[in-house]
Amino acid sequence: MKSRITAVLALVVAAGALPYGLGSYTIHVVDIALIYALLAIGMGLAMGISGQINLAQVAFFGVGAYCVAILTTNNGYGFWAAAVLAVLATVVTGLLVGIPALRMQSHYLGIVTLGLALGFINWITNADISGGADGISGVPVPTLPGVDLSSEYLYYYLEAVVFGLGLVFGLFVVHTSLGRRLRAMRDDALAAGATGAEIPLLRMTAFVLASLYGGLAGILYAGLIRYVAPETFSLGNMFILLAMVIIGGRRSLVGCVVGAIGLTLVREWLSDFSTYAQLGYGAVVVLMVVFAPTGLAGVPARLRDLYRRRFGRTSDDRAELRPFTPYTPGPEPSQDGPLLQVAEVSKDFRGLRALDEVSLTVDAGEIRGIVGPNGSGKTTLFNVVSGFYRASAGTVRFAGADTTRARPYALSLAGVARTFQNLRLFGQLTVRENILVALDRTRTYTIWQYALWQPGVIRRERRLRGAAQSVLERYGLVDFAEAAPASLPYGIQRRIEIARAMATRPRLLLLDEPAAGLNGEEVQQLVRIVRSIRDSGTTVVLIEHNMGLVMSLCEKITVLSSGKVIAEGTPAEVVAAPEVIEAYLGDSDLSELGMSAPPSAERPSPAKEATS
Amino acid sequence: MKADAADAARTLKVEDLSVHYGGVCAVRSIGFTVEPGESVGIIGANGAGKTSTLKALMGLVPRSGGRIRLGDRDLTRVRARDMVRHGIGYVPEGRHVFPGLPAEKNLLLGAYSKPWDKETQRQLDEVYALFPVLAEMRDRLAGALSGGQQQMLAIGRALMSRPRLLVLDEPSMGLSPILVGSILDVLLKLREEGLSLLLVEQNAKLTFGATSHCLVMENGEVAMTGPSADLRHDPRVREVYLGL
Amino acid sequence: MQETLQTLVGGLSLGAVYALVALGFSLVYRTMGLVNFAHADIAMIGAYAASTFYLTAKLPFALAMVLSILITGAIGLVIERVLRPLENKDFDLMLIGTIGFGIVLQAVAILIWGTTGRAVPSPVRTAPLDILGVRVRTYDLLVMAVTALAVVGLGFFLARTKRGAAMQAVAMDHEAATAVGIDVGRSNALAFAIGAGLAALAGGLVGPMLYVDASLGGALGIKGFAAAMLGGFGSINGAVVGGILIGVLDSYTAGHFQGYSVLATFLVFTVAIMIRPMGIFGERTVSRA
Repeated sequence: MKSRITAVLALVVAAGALPYGLGSYTIHVVDIALIYALLAIGMGLAMGISGQINLAQVAFFGVGAYCVAILTTNNGYGFWAAAVLAVLATVVTGLLVGIPALRMQSHYLGIVTLGLALGFINWITNADISGGADGISGVPVPTLPGVDLSSEYLYYYLEAVVFGLGLVFGLFVVHTSLGRRLRAMRDDALAAGATGAEIPLLRMTAFVLASLYGGLAGILYAGLIRYVAPETFSLGNMFILLAMVIIGGRRSLVGCVVGAIGLTLVREWLSDFSTYAQLGYGAVVVLMVVFAPTGLAGVPARLRDLYRRRFGRTSDDRAELRPFTPYTPGPEPSQDGPLLQVAEVSKDFRGLRALDEVSLTVDAGEIRGIVGPNGSGKTTLFNVVSGFYRASAGTVRFAGADTTRARPYALSLAGVARTFQNLRLFGQLTVRENILVALDRTRTYTIWQYALWQPGVIRRERRLRGAAQSVLERYGLVDFAEAAPASLPYGIQRRIEIARAMATRPRLLLLDEPAAGLNGEEVQQLVRIVRSIRDSGTTVVLIEHNMGLVMSLCEKITVLSSGKVIAEGTPAEVVAAPEVIEAYLGDSDLSELGMSAPPSAERPSPAKEATS
Repeated sequence: MKADAADAARTLKVEDLSVHYGGVCAVRSIGFTVEPGESVGIIGANGAGKTSTLKALMGLVPRSGGRIRLGDRDLTRVRARDMVRHGIGYVPEGRHVFPGLPAEKNLLLGAYSKPWDKETQRQLDEVYALFPVLAEMRDRLAGALSGGQQQMLAIGRALMSRPRLLVLDEPSMGLSPILVGSILDVLLKLREEGLSLLLVEQNAKLTFGATSHCLVMENGEVAMTGPSADLRHDPRVREVYLGL
Repeated sequence: MQETLQTLVGGLSLGAVYALVALGFSLVYRTMGLVNFAHADIAMIGAYAASTFYLTAKLPFALAMVLSILITGAIGLVIERVLRPLENKDFDLMLIGTIGFGIVLQAVAILIWGTTGRAVPSPVRTAPLDILGVRVRTYDLLVMAVTALAVVGLGFFLARTKRGAAMQAVAMDHEAATAVGIDVGRSNALAFAIGAGLAALAGGLVGPMLYVDASLGGALGIKGFAAAMLGGFGSINGAVVGGILIGVLDSYTAGHFQGYSVLATFLVFTVAIMIRPMGIFGERTVSRA
């Protein structure tokens, strides 16, 4: 920590001293590089941090620059007044360009944003107000009392301050609540929704952030060059910007900055061979995505990995999964009606009926098991209850309210949490951050604090971190807090998923095959965890095909087959039902075999020993 | 589809087959043989490792160990796409037909490894004779067929390569008892014609009916083996299923 | 009425070219699930190559086209081979990788052909026809005919040949395709090469209609993309309908908004695609939790 502060201080001092050693042309190049660095931060926030493919960053850049140019030369505004309006205009543009992200993602979004950028270029090249292909010259020098900003040396300091603040703010966003949610959305939008993140608003936020940086860069550009023309905002420059972000490392803002400054300098240095330079960085982009997708920023981590693999593990050896600390039992849930009520729910997929008038009532304080053969609709039922699918018919009520049409985040905030059959942890976040995302129960609108009241963000952050530590301790995960989930054994990942779901403090916990892939000992731990969760006051519904687990854990079991409920009752009743045997083994005759009396749920272990 | 003399020696022998996903062991060194003309079943509850066993056999998931021989040929290093050229036809779990192609195109693609000639046409007619409903639906997109028809299509597609061994992964999945019954009839007919079968199933009734010999899998290992007729009356099978 | 008809005819020929570009996009997307952002630049290379063979080497137009198709087909094979490690893994990375290839191809074009563009004279020198008072250039008719031929040919290839069926099967289920004995990698490479060939065809045809320079790919590509999306990504019919729609829209906005036609086209396109993200012929895919 101390060395890091020293390094930052050294960088600040070096940045302050930099102009003294540079010629007038070099300082101009540095000024340009800083502008690109700001642009790259915005691009990194949208693409690398939030996973929104944004190929309209040059358009944001252009809106900022052109607004200043038009307002100062055409409307007689002062530079700073124009700058404020330019920021507003850019953010509004960002919101508009971001709207398609609500409906489409990935390549679709890339094409739409690129198309809009092309439209913008087309407009500035042809409109009278933007000076057409000639652009606008004569943008006034920004005025600052006592400082002559027409000097590129002094302008450097203005830029350095804006850039420094921009980088710090960007890093602040990335490493606190908002950024964590954005990264969670990037890694797995569905799971992020299930932990309470409002995906549509977050996508818009990503575009607002990108446009904010784009606008700032545009304003600085207009003030520096004092002339704007379409070629600065061309698609070619858009792709160079993309190359900067990819080569530097899109998931690290510092990486984006390094990429931007580095590539600007290289481009300037090779300006006599610009075509070869273009060939070069195109090739580097291709090589990067194939061999080093994390960019330059990811190189240290890769080297560390390599080193560790080469020379054996060092510190991780002592890491172990600690035992689970049970919750303190909560009060008996008040019995005013069922907690979850699924009434005649059907779900069709292109003519295929996955759920057929399923009705199910779960009381508060239950542990309910849902079993059934492959393809019987168990996970579909969970998806309907947790808001991922909308039922084709029927209603779902949670805690008395109709939630048939509720979105996943709304259900999460209302107290429904779930795990996933195929593990959906946020892969690029640490285990601690996975928990932090779930602990964060605030609505997205609270991000106004980032703009106006940062201490509020920091205070909340401190509170969340305290809570995360206690969740990690309770689930015995402290040793893995800073690890990437994918690097951990499967059993631990399963436990992290439960911890993450419980971190949302749900009233209803849906577990989708929590025992899949666990060994015997881990299954026993799971039983203890689930019991404790129930005793703490959270109702549990679990899908499971490990029948032994279901038998020993659940008071009541619902059996699905071909999308229909075919049996419901205590484990003993369900196991004895001919329909269940038929569904599982395909043969009702087998139900008469062997055991005359159905086994009691209380003693599953002796029978288990007999088979193994 | 008759097995000729040359095939008599072609026994499928699987030894020490293991599969790991990440750190999880899904299949732990299991072994079995399928004699020519024999039909063998692998049953067990969900998650017991049956599908992983088949996929590993077919080379569709990486094996962490094991040897596979067919007659005197070593198939351990044969790529998944070449298995069909060694006479092994595969019916994947969950049907996996090509939904956007017509039913007949699906069948023809089953014969991809052979030239599309008169022989293919004759084979097509045989499949249509086996599944008359497919002949009616030949121009319909496979994705628009019912679950049962898709299953028949998947079996028919595998038969188009004229396999000597047909490997089926849970053909009863999501089908009603009546349809499971008709799948059983088809399997029995194929067996009569001398085709070797390897059937992975959760549905024990279907498996016991269609096979002569069975393995019962539990937690990635073989819990029991024996003639299907004996296992049918063994109460332990039920225990494995219901996890008692 | 007359004017509307003239706009329509003008849009049809450009639309036919967009349709060809969209067809290549769709084929690659349909078989590999890859959106090839370098596609546009491949078309640009195709346009340059065809014009060079035609103007400099004085080869017949048709032969020049065939040669340029072969060259771009080879480029397609290279791109597919380099990006193959990312297949079925990271969609967005693969997309950025193709953008990288696009940058490289543009640089290559400038190195070979320089920054000044070239105008390609029409290979058909007959006077425009007059049909019901609408002026139709004969070259436009040729473009439409070639496009129609390419669509029919591609349709035939996909529907009637073994390789074509296999290529579609790979896209629908690569595991099942493997099990029936299809070499997935080779099938993808072929799809990519055909896609690139279609791009070259579009580029070669558009040469005499527009000005050939290094930025040709940009406009052609993005409109081709838009056409593919509008029609429904991966659908052959969709590519054709989408291409014609974008072409007509383009020609309409050019008539009514002059300088702002690109902006107008993309605004209309954005609104349309937001109303129906899966396009006209596309199918909504179910996202599984």
